[in-house]
Amino acid sequence: MADQGLRIDGLRCSVEGNEILKGIDLVVEPGKVHALMGPNGSGKSTLAFSLAGHPHYDVTGGTASLDGEDLLALSPDKRARAGLFLSFQYPAAVPGVKVPNFLYAARQAVRPGELTPAKFRALLLEKMDVVGMDASFLGRYLNDGFSGGEKKRLEMLQMTVLAPKYAILDETDSGLDVDALKDVGESVTALRASAEGERTGFLIITHYPRILQHITPDVVHVMIDGRIVKTGGPDLANRIEREGYDVIREETRSLA
Amino acid sequence: MPSLLSAPDRAAELDAFASTPSGRGKPGRYWKIDLETLVPPPGRSAGSVTIDSKDTRVVACDLQTAQRDHAALFSRAFRTAVQPHQKFAHLALANFGLGAFVYVPPGVAIDEPVVVRYTAAAAESIYPYTVVLVDDGARATVIERLDLAAGAFACGVAEILTGERADVTYASAQLAPADVRVLFTRAARPGRDARVTWANAELGAELSVSEVGVTIDQPGVEAHVATVFFPTGTQHVDILSSIDHRVGDSTSDTLVKSAAAGRGQGRYLGNIRIAAHAQQSNASLRDDALLLSKDAHIDSIPALEIAANDVKAYHGATVGALDEDGLFYMTSRGIERAAAERMIALGFFEPAVDRFPTQALRDELRAVLEEKVSR
Repeated sequence: MADQGLRIDGLRCSVEGNEILKGIDLVVEPGKVHALMGPNGSGKSTLAFSLAGHPHYDVTGGTASLDGEDLLALSPDKRARAGLFLSFQYPAAVPGVKVPNFLYAARQAVRPGELTPAKFRALLLEKMDVVGMDASFLGRYLNDGFSGGEKKRLEMLQMTVLAPKYAILDETDSGLDVDALKDVGESVTALRASAEGERTGFLIITHYPRILQHITPDVVHVMIDGRIVKTGGPDLANRIEREGYDVIREETRSLA
Repeated sequence: MPSLLSAPDRAAELDAFASTPSGRGKPGRYWKIDLETLVPPPGRSAGSVTIDSKDTRVVACDLQTAQRDHAALFSRAFRTAVQPHQKFAHLALANFGLGAFVYVPPGVAIDEPVVVRYTAAAAESIYPYTVVLVDDGARATVIERLDLAAGAFACGVAEILTGERADVTYASAQLAPADVRVLFTRAARPGRDARVTWANAELGAELSVSEVGVTIDQPGVEAHVATVFFPTGTQHVDILSSIDHRVGDSTSDTLVKSAAAGRGQGRYLGNIRIAAHAQQSNASLRDDALLLSKDAHIDSIPALEIAANDVKAYHGATVGALDEDGLFYMTSRGIERAAAERMIALGFFEPAVDRFPTQALRDELRAVLEEKVSR
C-alpha cells in the first residue's frame, strides 16, 4: 500500500519557543532499518519525542503517519497502540510498579487479549534471555535503582515483548559497554527474526557508528541543525566514522 | 467480678482528657476540625470484640477474662506504654471496658496472626483497648480490624509491651464508612533487643486521628513504623508518629506514604527524639505525600530533636503530584493515562503496603487504595 511506513513529511517542532526541527522528511518502510546520525544537539531526540507525543515538544508544522494513521492526532498511548515504540535514552523510574506487571499491562494495551498471564510469563522469560536479563528483574520496580546498562536492556526487553510496527531507538547505544551493545544488536535481530517482528521498521538514532556494526542499516541519514542533510547507504556511516560530522557539515554548507 | 477501672479512676481520666491538650494543629484554611473541643457522643459505650487465635499456647481473650484469669500478666502490661500527654488515651480509659488481651509466653513463636476485631453498630460509640504482651524471645503478629457501622464513634488504644528479644508486629486497617469518627492511640515499649513493628492504614472515616509511638528505653531495640493514609472526598486524617530514643544502641525506621484527593485533608507530624545520652541511635524518617487534586491538602511536618552527638539520623520528605516523566513513559507503552496514573499512585504506596503482614491484608489494602485512586 502506498501509505505504508512511518512517514514524516516536513515536520517542524519547537521546544519552549525555539525551533529545533526545521522540516524533516523521512520514510521508514516496514521491515527496513534506518539509521539517523548526527552530532549532539542536531535534533535527533527531538524527532523521537515529537513522534512519541511528549507534551513539551510542540509540533508546529508537517505531518507524521504510521501505516496511514495520523500520528500527530493521537495521544501518546494511542500512538503506541497504533504500533509505535520509542526506546528512551533516559527511561523514567517508577517506584512500586513491578517490571512484569508493567510489561503485562503494556502488552495487553498494545496487543489486547492475546496472552494469558501464564503464557505471558513464559514469553517474558524467553525474551529476557535474549536481552541478557536474569529472572531477578521480575521482582524489581520499573527502572528504580537500575544502572544505565540495565535500563537499556529493559528498553530492549519492552521492544521485543511489544513487537511494535515501528521502533525508534533513541541513542540506546550511548553509555553501553561492548557486551551490552552486542545484546542490543541481538535484541533487534531477534525481533526481526520473530513472526511478530519480521515487518518491524527501525529508526536507530545514534551519535556513534559503532552500533551499526551490530545492526546493518538499509539507509543512513545525517541530521545537522534540525535538517536531514544527507541520505545514503551503510557506507555513509563508515564515512562518518572516518571523517566525522564536520566534513559533512562543510559539504552541505558549500552545496547550499 | 471486679470493675475494670474504678469510678473515681474513670472520673480522673475524663478530667485528664478535658485538660490535656491534643498536641495537634489548630483548624486553618484547609483543616476544618478542632481537636481541642472535640466531644464524644453522649450515652453509654457499646460494641463487641471477637478474638481469633489459632495457637493454644497464646492467651487471647477479652478484658474481663484477662482480669479474672490472667490478672498478674495483664497488670504487667496495662498502662505501661501509654503516656499522660496522650489526650485521647484518657478518653478511652474513662470508658474502659471493651478490649482484648494477647499474651505470648517466652520463646513461643506464632506464624498465624491473632486477629482482634471490634464491632460498633450504627451510631454506637466504642472505646476498644488492646493490650499485647510478648514475652522474652517470643514472636507474634496481631491484626486489629474495626467494623464500624454508619455514624459510629471509636476511640481506642493499643498497647504493646515486650520482653527481651521479642518480635511483634501489630497491624491495623481502618476502612470505616465515610461518616465515622475514629481516634486511636498506639503505644509500644519494647524490651532489650526486641523488635516492634507498627503498620497502620488509615483509609476510612470522616475523621481519623491517630498517634503511633515507640518508647525506646532498652538498648538493642529495633522499631519500625509504616503508615499509609489517604483522605478523599471530605475526609480528614491527622497522624502523629513518635519515636523516643531514650537509650542508645537502638534503631528506628518510620515510613509514611500518604495521598489526598478530592477535598481530602491530611496532617502528619513525625517526631523523632534522641536523648542526650542515647548515643549510637540510628533513626530514619521517610515521609512522602502525593496530591491528586487541587483541593486536596497534606501538611507534613517532620520534627527531629537530637540531643546526642554520636547518632545517625536520616530524614527525607516529598510532597508533590504524580511524576509527569513517569506518566509519559508509561503512556508511551500504550497504557492509558488514567491507568498509568493509577499504577503510579498504587506503586507510590507499595513500599509501605509491603510492610503489612499477610498477603491477604496487603491485597485488601491494595484494592481499597486502587478504589480510592480511581474515584
